[in-house]
Amino acid sequence: MKKTVILTILMSLGMMQANAHHSFSAEFDIEQPISLSGKVTRMQWSNPHGWIYIDVENDDGSVTNWALETSAANNLIRRGWRRDDLPAGTTISVEGFRARNGTATANIRGITLEDGRRLFSGNADELRK
Amino acid sequence: MRHRNFSIKGLILLFIAIPALAQDIPRTESGKPFFQGIWQAQTRAADNLEGHVARLNLPAGHSVIDSGSIPYLPEALERRNTNFANREVLDPLNKCHLPGPTRIMAMPWPFQIFQTEDHIAIAFEWTQVYRLIYSGGQEPYYPGFEHFMGDSRGHWEDDTFVVEIRDLNDRTWLDAAGNFYTNAAVITERYMMIDANTIRYQATFDDPSLFSEPWSISFPLTRQTDIPRLLEYQCQAEVEEANGEFERVDNLWYPAPIPAVNIPFSDAGEEDPRLPAVPGDISRQPDGAPDISGYFMANHGGANYGLEQRENIAMFPPSRGVVINPADGVLPYQGWAREEMVERREAWRGYDDPTAHCFVAGIPRSHYVPSPFFILQPPGYVVILHERMSYRVIPLDDRDHLPDHIRLWMGDAVGRWENDSLVVESSNYNGKAWLNELGDVISHAQTVRESYTPVSDTQILYRATVSDPIVYSRPWTIEMPLNQQDEELLEVACLEDNNDLQHLKDVRDEHRASLGREN
Repeated sequence: MKKTVILTILMSLGMMQANAHHSFSAEFDIEQPISLSGKVTRMQWSNPHGWIYIDVENDDGSVTNWALETSAANNLIRRGWRRDDLPAGTTISVEGFRARNGTATANIRGITLEDGRRLFSGNADELRK
Repeated sequence: MRHRNFSIKGLILLFIAIPALAQDIPRTESGKPFFQGIWQAQTRAADNLEGHVARLNLPAGHSVIDSGSIPYLPEALERRNTNFANREVLDPLNKCHLPGPTRIMAMPWPFQIFQTEDHIAIAFEWTQVYRLIYSGGQEPYYPGFEHFMGDSRGHWEDDTFVVEIRDLNDRTWLDAAGNFYTNAAVITERYMMIDANTIRYQATFDDPSLFSEPWSISFPLTRQTDIPRLLEYQCQAEVEEANGEFERVDNLWYPAPIPAVNIPFSDAGEEDPRLPAVPGDISRQPDGAPDISGYFMANHGGANYGLEQRENIAMFPPSRGVVINPADGVLPYQGWAREEMVERREAWRGYDDPTAHCFVAGIPRSHYVPSPFFILQPPGYVVILHERMSYRVIPLDDRDHLPDHIRLWMGDAVGRWENDSLVVESSNYNGKAWLNELGDVISHAQTVRESYTPVSDTQILYRATVSDPIVYSRPWTIEMPLNQQDEELLEVACLEDNNDLQHLKDVRDEHRASLGREN
């Protein structure tokens, strides 16, 4: 079962790497899977990767602004994403892998909206339903 | 309405100012002026569009503004003056960022124009930047998405090529003096060939949020008849090599010798499988050559994560394996070079991949980096524009390669049609590229023979045979289909928003610290 889960994750990563410009493995750590929930503060439409920034409340009540790496903006555009798909204030939950350098950075493989709809970072179809 | 009146008046004045259009300018088969060739601006406009005296690193120059000065609104003028005072820090060009569509026309670097019936491409020596201007009435695929270089659509008004540029972002400057526009700007360019070796270039800027009325600049572009081909200036790569952020690799970069431990390189080996026959009814260009133009994406099978067939390694996705020669699909590495490839999989080596720095991918990697590309077939050339902002100019003649000491990231290519396949021979590489993220190795000694064989009107079979006596014991060949799609290129401004490199550097530095080594 565990192997199946890992395989699924890796297949998803393969989808995400469609326009990678650097070694995913060198920057992010498969040994540090992470789940985060918070409000979107900003979405950066950029290449070679887009970035979603979310405020996440920590256990002690403080807030950390996490930088979440997505596929390249060009990939998001070609898959139907548009600038206003994730406006500031949207609450999302994400799964991904944390950066090796220990900063509040992660590469994300999936996004879940407040109403339970899920979408991969590479595809906006779910948002458009 | 006022803006439109001004524009028409300006156009009339301009035509009065220009001598009667020469009839002896080069023209296309359809009679349009033929701009193709290597050109360079004769102006100081990239330093300051307005007339100015010299300042540190800013040579003096006359105004290129048709009305004498820029009609800024007061707040906008204040911002321009602040820009000027802080130009060393704020000028985006000092960070090697994309210069915007008009500043790059004025910069003192040669550029090459290529012309077909429905596209004009401008390839700039500066940092392999290009502009692709759609001139066949194509509508934008993705209107509203902003770009450093904008979205350029051209049309002909008699002998004048008129280009409207929209979807600009607000992150460029017009010159080193801090003149600027916003993302609401619309730029209209006019290219007028006034003799065989001179283009009069005019650009009109309309941005009511900054300017009280539209205004324009004009300067000549001069044909460079003594430059046989463009060379390269990779701005950020030069910066990082100079400051030590991108480190020299002595055993791979030019002029590394063949290692004494190598087993001798041998050309003897298996023949490549026969190429498939080109269908008899394939689309063709007017000159009879197969039509291979358009937007393509390689079916690369994960070649950017390894050329050999492989399952997942850590987070590297699997690779289908694209090596067809040797037939076992295993690259004929020298022993030390395979050890180097294996070490490059380590996280602390990820920083060393040039594409992580947003440098160009080299050949053959540019085909499977993975990113789409656009093939143009202007007279005498095949030109490949890679979305990851680099290009390749392939002259179709029998010219000699560049002198041996001239070394380039993308190499020096010469092509020819052979049995309806485009065959490209290239050399003069600098050895700085990696073959993929996994770290497959290549050196400056590489020479490459590529073939682009159209197997249908929507697919090209691409092969590259690489000979590199430093890294390998014999030549090897990869193969992959290139699929044509109904798409347009978008801009990849990589360096400008590359948040990843610092993370990769942190990982490398931590590793070096663990070894007691200074970074």
